[in-house]
Amino acid sequence: MSEARKEVNCLGLECPLPVIEAKKALAAVEEGSWVDISVDGNTQVQNLTRMAQNQGFLVETEPLGENFIVHIQKGKEQAEAEASAPAAGPTTVVFSSDCMGRGDDELGHILMKAFVFSVTQMDPLPDRLIFYNYGVKLTTVGSPVIEDLKRLSQAGMEIFSCGTCLKHLGLEDQLQVGQVSNMYDILEMQLKSGHLIKP
Amino acid sequence: MPLEKFPAIVITFHTSTDAMCFEDQAHQAGLKGRLIPVPRAISASCGLAWMSRLDEQEALEDLLQSPEILYAGRYQQDL
Repeated sequence: MSEARKEVNCLGLECPLPVIEAKKALAAVEEGSWVDISVDGNTQVQNLTRMAQNQGFLVETEPLGENFIVHIQKGKEQAEAEASAPAAGPTTVVFSSDCMGRGDDELGHILMKAFVFSVTQMDPLPDRLIFYNYGVKLTTVGSPVIEDLKRLSQAGMEIFSCGTCLKHLGLEDQLQVGQVSNMYDILEMQLKSGHLIKP
Repeated sequence: MPLEKFPAIVITFHTSTDAMCFEDQAHQAGLKGRLIPVPRAISASCGLAWMSRLDEQEALEDLLQSPEILYAGRYQQDL
């Protein structure tokens, strides 16, 4: 391979340090260059591989005695192409509960808080959020994610809460962010969405 | 368009149970921070982390001194 290469010695380093060091090295090299990271565990290899794949970079692993060398080729075009792929319509996130997943509700509430925070970190952001049933507990007084939702609203994201649900749960006067919507609008917005996400 | 970032202190843990315990302890101590997914810039693996804004850094540092607190790492990160 004739491209420029940079070596990063992460032997003896536990996660997440190899990923951090690899990211620093990748940030410092030109597109098309290789970064060769030496690590001494499978977990480090898997984390580096996932990080590289998430960014659309080419990644190869080479065993070296008891250690490994993870080769990552910086490839800006791949990452950008994936990130900028146009959707066929707006991206809508639908919250039908204040709990993410079924099983352990305590965990589900924590996961939901983590999910909404993750939405604030996305680039690009989704276009709209729809809340119904217990989902409206997230847009009303006492919501653990109200700060995130207000930031998103201020950035221009559309936020809709089901009016029937607010009324049924006695939360009509408690809405803290976004606007009240109805079943027809909620269905129509979902039908017209390019991507529909449901945590 | 992404949201405007803000500086924060991020605390990582060895297990999700440690993170959930810390959330209870932090709220009892009056901290206003919260659990978030471990930021990608810190780790590519799955997990929960504690996030506090810089205005409660001192109270957070005090809590982390406590011997019963179990945490893995401490980072400053724009979120």
